[in-house]
Amino acid sequence: MVDVNSKVMSAKEAINKFVHDGDALVIGNYTVGSCAELVYEVIRQGRKGLTLYSQSGIFDVETIVGAGCVDRLVTTYCLRAGGRKGGSAVERGLNAGTLELEDYTNFQYNARLMAGMHGFSYIQVLEGAMVTDLFKKRSFMGEDKFRVIKCPYTGKDHLTVPAANPDVCIVHVQRCDKFGNAQYWGALGSVAAAALASKRIVVSCEEIVEHDVIQSSPHLTLIPAYRVDAVVEVPWGANPTEVLGYYNMDQFMYGLFMMADGTADGLKAWMDEWVFGCENRAAYIDHYIQKFGSKVLDGIRAKAFYSAPANYGSAFTSRWDREGKERNMGMTLPEFEQTLKERGKLYE
Amino acid sequence: MSKPYTLQELLVIAVAKEIHDHENVILGVGLPTTAGAVAKALYAPHATLMMESGIIDFEPLLPLNHIADAHSCRGFSYATDLFSAFTMTYRGFVDVCFLGVGQVDKYGNLNTTAIGDYYKPTMRLPGSGGAADFISYAKRTVLTMLGGSFVNKLDYFTSPGYLDGGESRDKSGLFPKGTGPTMLLSTKGVFRFDPVTKEMYLAQIHPRVTIEDVKKDVPWDLKIAPDLSETPRPTDEEIDFIRCFAPAMSAGRELSMELTIVNMMKMLKA
Repeated sequence: MVDVNSKVMSAKEAINKFVHDGDALVIGNYTVGSCAELVYEVIRQGRKGLTLYSQSGIFDVETIVGAGCVDRLVTTYCLRAGGRKGGSAVERGLNAGTLELEDYTNFQYNARLMAGMHGFSYIQVLEGAMVTDLFKKRSFMGEDKFRVIKCPYTGKDHLTVPAANPDVCIVHVQRCDKFGNAQYWGALGSVAAAALASKRIVVSCEEIVEHDVIQSSPHLTLIPAYRVDAVVEVPWGANPTEVLGYYNMDQFMYGLFMMADGTADGLKAWMDEWVFGCENRAAYIDHYIQKFGSKVLDGIRAKAFYSAPANYGSAFTSRWDREGKERNMGMTLPEFEQTLKERGKLYE
Repeated sequence: MSKPYTLQELLVIAVAKEIHDHENVILGVGLPTTAGAVAKALYAPHATLMMESGIIDFEPLLPLNHIADAHSCRGFSYATDLFSAFTMTYRGFVDVCFLGVGQVDKYGNLNTTAIGDYYKPTMRLPGSGGAADFISYAKRTVLTMLGGSFVNKLDYFTSPGYLDGGESRDKSGLFPKGTGPTMLLSTKGVFRFDPVTKEMYLAQIHPRVTIEDVKKDVPWDLKIAPDLSETPRPTDEEIDFIRCFAPAMSAGRELSMELTIVNMMKMLKA
């Protein structure tokens, strides 16, 4: 039977439904466990004119910028392949005039999403940055990159940034139920803020688990079901980055990418093979194993190191004891109803 | 005399000695991670090692790939988020942090954002990441400079050192008093900052390096400590630890990359 309420769908369907041309798109993951398959699907579907938010741009930002999907980038960190002699898609885009970039610090960027997540219009950030070019040199945010206000309590100057509420967040997590309760653990980074600040949320996960797994470990749920629009099950969905409890960073595939990323032609050839050449993650893993064997992937699978379970138990009693008496008032249900009647509390 | 060592092993030890027992330490990627592991294992067993991604109090089993790497330790004590990692720094709970350098001026102000014009860069560097906020609020900041350069004027001012020198940082009212960079490590020596003028001077020189070698990289008239000493060579225990924990660090980035690429090519052919 088809569950018509299910949010479970393929990456293709989810990106088609929830990521549109011209959107402000945030990559929810920070440095680790990036939502590679969702990023690649945005690229395959040829989205244009995106404003991309990324806490820390790694291969994900490089590929989506290199593919020409992004006009504007808000970030704190850009990857550079090949050191001084190398380059990056971001650098090439800036020089070609096809990309505008707004630089923040890690904290300022996260704070913008934190403000957005909580419904505030701005948030205080750390004032030391006022002396730097982060404050002075501005791109498309202009006057609204930062504003300085007087603290009404201390009279001191406070540096502030505006809230960010991206149109859509794409994010990869360890596990999720079919309703969209997304559980993530490890380096928490800014994952929750990125997702919860956004208007729509597309979650990919290593595995879909039963709802009772979620209910017995709610401390691991970073994104609650009522906020999530789509759930996509994608094993190896973050490769070449790592997912705690599932697999390590794939230094071999990352190495291939880094060797390619220094030039536009190199990156294009790499993407032709690994992004456009594979219609989904299953095809990508098949191609990987066909080409290089399974040794690398087998070698980076995680061994188990389980968290000690937290006991969410209670006495699990009802209000009525073994004799059928209410625990505080000491009467049975018929006695209780009789009392309600005698005291004139019941209406015919 | 200890056994033969590599330059990187000497550098790691020089940085590791900046971590003291019982301190709260924010580790950056690369050399500082290895230094943190050495310090924790050999001199500072009670140091609390932290990553800005919110991984707090861990014992590295492997060199970290990046600052959100929970795969390089077997669990950790406190999982928080990036926002809280920075607000705890703001509140003064971080004793020492480590930052890389693209360009540095004589007062320890840093550029890690762009070389050339910011909007059309000759070379786009990573950006601030956590740097500008950490150097603002950590009690001490150690700068590690493996590929960067000393300049009179930064192309882009990413992270505040001692601003215009003297009391300018403290007087700005933007930073806790007494904070700022305390040391810069280059491949040629160890630099520190004059307590009054806040100008960077050469405090230690690495073996086989001359003062002229150091001076030719520095565009201002670099002052030399009257008690200039030679950076101590690592002990056998230190060398053994680094080689076992992070062999690629012992080799240095260029050689380890070269060997890795040769090996990858072999795998690609096989």
